[in-house]
Amino acid sequence: MLKNYIKIAWRNLLKNKLSGFITIGGLAVGLTACTLILFYVAHERSYDSFHTDSDRIYTVEAQVNMGGDSIYMNSMNATVGKLTENASPAVSSSLRLKEEYKPVIITNASQPGTRFSEKDFSYADANFFDFFSFRLKKGNTATVLSKPYSLVLSEDMAKKYFGNQSPIGETLSVRKDSTYLFTVTGVMENTPSNSSLHPDFVASLSSMPTIKEFERDFDSEAFRLGSFPTYLKLNESADKSAVEKTMQELSIQGNAEASDVYSLSLLRDKHLNGRDASNTRYISIFPLIAVLILLLALVNYLSLSTARATLRSKEIGVRKVNGASRKSVALQFYVESTLYVIFAFLVSVALSVVLKPWFFSLLDIEIDASFFLNKNFLLILTGLLGFTVLATGFYPALVMSAFNPVENLRSSRTSKMGGERLRKVCTTVQFVIAIALLISGVIIHQQLDYVRGVDTGLNRSDVVMVTLQNTVGTNSTPFRNEIEKLSQVTSTAVAQYPIYKGYNMFFASSEQVPDATGLPIFSVDDDFFKTLGVTWETKPDDENFYSKSDPVIINEAAISKFKLGPNPIGESLLFGNSKREIVGVVKDFHFENLDAPINAVALFVNPKTKATTNILGKNGGCLFVRFQPDSNVPQLLSKMETIYTQYDSATPFEYQFLDDAFDAMFRSEERLSHVFNLFIILAMLIAGMGLFALATFSAQQRMKELGVRKVLGASVLQLTTLLSFDFLKLILLAILVASPLAWYFMHEWLQDFNYKTTIHWWVFAGAGVGAFVLAIFTVSFQAIKAALANPVESLRTE
Amino acid sequence: MLLQLNHIYKWVKQGGKRVFLLNDISLDVEEGEFISIMGPSGSGKSTLLNVIGMLDEFQEGEYIFDGEPVHSLKEKQRAKLYKEYIGFVFQAYHLIDELTVYENIETPLLYKNIKSSERKALVADMLDRFNIVGKKDLFPAQLSGGQQQLVGIARALIAKPKLILADEPTGNLNSKQGEEIMELFKELNTEGVTIIQATHSESNAAYGNRIIHLLDGSKQLQPQN
Repeated sequence: MLKNYIKIAWRNLLKNKLSGFITIGGLAVGLTACTLILFYVAHERSYDSFHTDSDRIYTVEAQVNMGGDSIYMNSMNATVGKLTENASPAVSSSLRLKEEYKPVIITNASQPGTRFSEKDFSYADANFFDFFSFRLKKGNTATVLSKPYSLVLSEDMAKKYFGNQSPIGETLSVRKDSTYLFTVTGVMENTPSNSSLHPDFVASLSSMPTIKEFERDFDSEAFRLGSFPTYLKLNESADKSAVEKTMQELSIQGNAEASDVYSLSLLRDKHLNGRDASNTRYISIFPLIAVLILLLALVNYLSLSTARATLRSKEIGVRKVNGASRKSVALQFYVESTLYVIFAFLVSVALSVVLKPWFFSLLDIEIDASFFLNKNFLLILTGLLGFTVLATGFYPALVMSAFNPVENLRSSRTSKMGGERLRKVCTTVQFVIAIALLISGVIIHQQLDYVRGVDTGLNRSDVVMVTLQNTVGTNSTPFRNEIEKLSQVTSTAVAQYPIYKGYNMFFASSEQVPDATGLPIFSVDDDFFKTLGVTWETKPDDENFYSKSDPVIINEAAISKFKLGPNPIGESLLFGNSKREIVGVVKDFHFENLDAPINAVALFVNPKTKATTNILGKNGGCLFVRFQPDSNVPQLLSKMETIYTQYDSATPFEYQFLDDAFDAMFRSEERLSHVFNLFIILAMLIAGMGLFALATFSAQQRMKELGVRKVLGASVLQLTTLLSFDFLKLILLAILVASPLAWYFMHEWLQDFNYKTTIHWWVFAGAGVGAFVLAIFTVSFQAIKAALANPVESLRTE
Repeated sequence: MLLQLNHIYKWVKQGGKRVFLLNDISLDVEEGEFISIMGPSGSGKSTLLNVIGMLDEFQEGEYIFDGEPVHSLKEKQRAKLYKEYIGFVFQAYHLIDELTVYENIETPLLYKNIKSSERKALVADMLDRFNIVGKKDLFPAQLSGGQQQLVGIARALIAKPKLILADEPTGNLNSKQGEEIMELFKELNTEGVTIIQATHSESNAAYGNRIIHLLDGSKQLQPQN
């Protein structure tokens, strides 16, 4: 019996290839989109949960009050972990994991040519591989990090430095300010893509006390903030609030005045709910889009399969007359639907595998291929399949099995029944989704364009930022000189950090605001203003103002923050013990994310030569290079690189364009926009396909009516209009429903932005017209074909 | 007695008035009879066949089939009854386009849950008997009208029904094919199958041993001859 059902399902598919292709293809495309999104979302949600004890691994955080602002810190003093472990029975173990915040230069000691600058270098306590579930390929979990100057490499790094040789027992030299030798004791698997910790090098933390640069980190035994990110593993069923209380007590014991508030948060929750989770900002919107696309595909499938089934009303009649019960007819259609769904599902899995790299490069994320076999993800997929089978099989089975055999057999043509109204609702819903997505996509795009074009007070174009490490040393002066000599370069400037990438925070006070208040500081040279196009509100009288002792330049926001006079020149700010006179005021410019209003900032301006040697050379800073607008940029960059390697061969040349750095702050919005673009196309495709197939069925069903009308003198145009009008009515309705929906959601979305674009009426009109044109195109194709058909043909068969 | 209709009425409401499709029909059919129902279009021939075939309901009257009161049976029991005892043959053949000749004939057996090996034997017998073994893998569209109707009859017979209901079985066929089909019915009848056919054609009707004339849903007196 089952065989019979499958056979007839298969033959039906072959018989109506086009509609079969559209039915299954539409579903497969929808499922693919859904699978990819679910894959992405499941991956984001799985962060750090691969650790065996992920439900008990916490990070220690402290809320600190700084000049009126609450700041969260997660670096603790070296003793905090052990002190807590000893004081609280709920803690089973603790771990410190300290990252180098600047790249280090690593050399294979026996092959001095193998030398690279490495960013992900960390120091960890000896229990690192026991505490976390990173796996060792070589070496013993218990002992790899037990001795000072032990080092574990990731597989990639082992290959990079040692090729196919075993690195165990080999020596790597690590250059910071001084150079240190580490012995490789183990190789670990590369960290999975869903890990928030991804060290390439893990050195034993017991090395740190003898590393000069870290000496100060071990100065104090007190329970307070420090420089070590600290992790605690609690006992099973232990209560984290008890541990938090213990930590609070320890903090008070050490210093009765301490006001820091300690807390624990689960490591695996931090990726999505952490305070710095802007990357995953729209993670909750993605499943919604996935559901919409799936809904679209299901609705499409449903509407097409019932339409297909009405063509088979005769078959159902025959089967019933031959003894089929309603149950067996329902079962037949259910089996058939299941078969198609499984088919579509397999196609979608194949499509997902093929499209995955492309999709993730679009989203600018990397996900291990092995995650495709992740247990939870497979479970989700199975659920998706099950749901789809249930959702798609049920209705056609119900409708089809209810057909009355006498009715069906009496008219040898297909009868007009079986969810006619349902199909209308389906088409409308499809277009509502498609149009709403289209409108939203356009508005998201406009918003992105808008914020990118916002006047942020800086001239962002044609500036490249070159970051230098201290390995450049005294070469910074000749380096800068040579760069300035390049014909395309108009000016250069120095600052400690690239713009949008951070700043120092000082505490300052004024006469009007005597409490120490946090104030971002830029240490720059005097070319900074010219090179970055910062505009002056009040320019210092003296061109050589920076030669004065300790002047400061502030922005407008700082005037109000420190309640200074309208013209604050001559007033001063107190930074700790040093008093700095305000010599100039610049107009506000953005140096952080646009979400926040512009913060107050103070600029410490140094003479050019001093800035070049100190800021750029000694500590490693950022050189801003403004070039002529019509420069050949790749050529310029390669020239700069040549100069760079001449003066610093230890650290690779690194640069970023200022406008790219700015745009990078909108990565999550950009991602959202990309996803929307993709799904607008998909939604339109599916909806269009559905409409096309429905128009085909409608034309088939009304063949006789059209024949009669034509015999009575209707023109092709009249017939086309007649057929198309039914559908266009639905599209019109969809536009009316979709517009306010899209407006509402986009309006809400825009509320999160400091700078927001206005929603224009023509976006709605445009989307409506677009959908309408698409609909006319798809429908009229069929309608014209039907209208042109010879009526004798259609009438003879009656 | 195979079946008995007592004062059957069937009507539809049109503008508040009853339009009778069947008007006081009484009919006794003995096993082994070959009955032809004649009448112009719309006289109720098909409706009467559908009622006898239990595909259609009626509003008033009694219908006893093989001793069972059909009018008071539940849907399920009725389905069981016609599945067991009645085969249908249609003017438009009503074969399933997507199934081969073999599979079309097999269909009723599937719904009677007959085992695969037994099904094979029964269908093979039938193909043999109708001389269409060579056509078993063809689809209906590849056959002539006469051949399609042959398959239709084979399908009606496969479940060994006591009664064959044929609604204009030769209506779509040319006269030669029609004659062959009628000869086949006659042969079946002599083997003991009861047949009721609806027809327009006097000559086809003559194959039966009793003719019933219908007009506007009522039985007419047999014209004297």
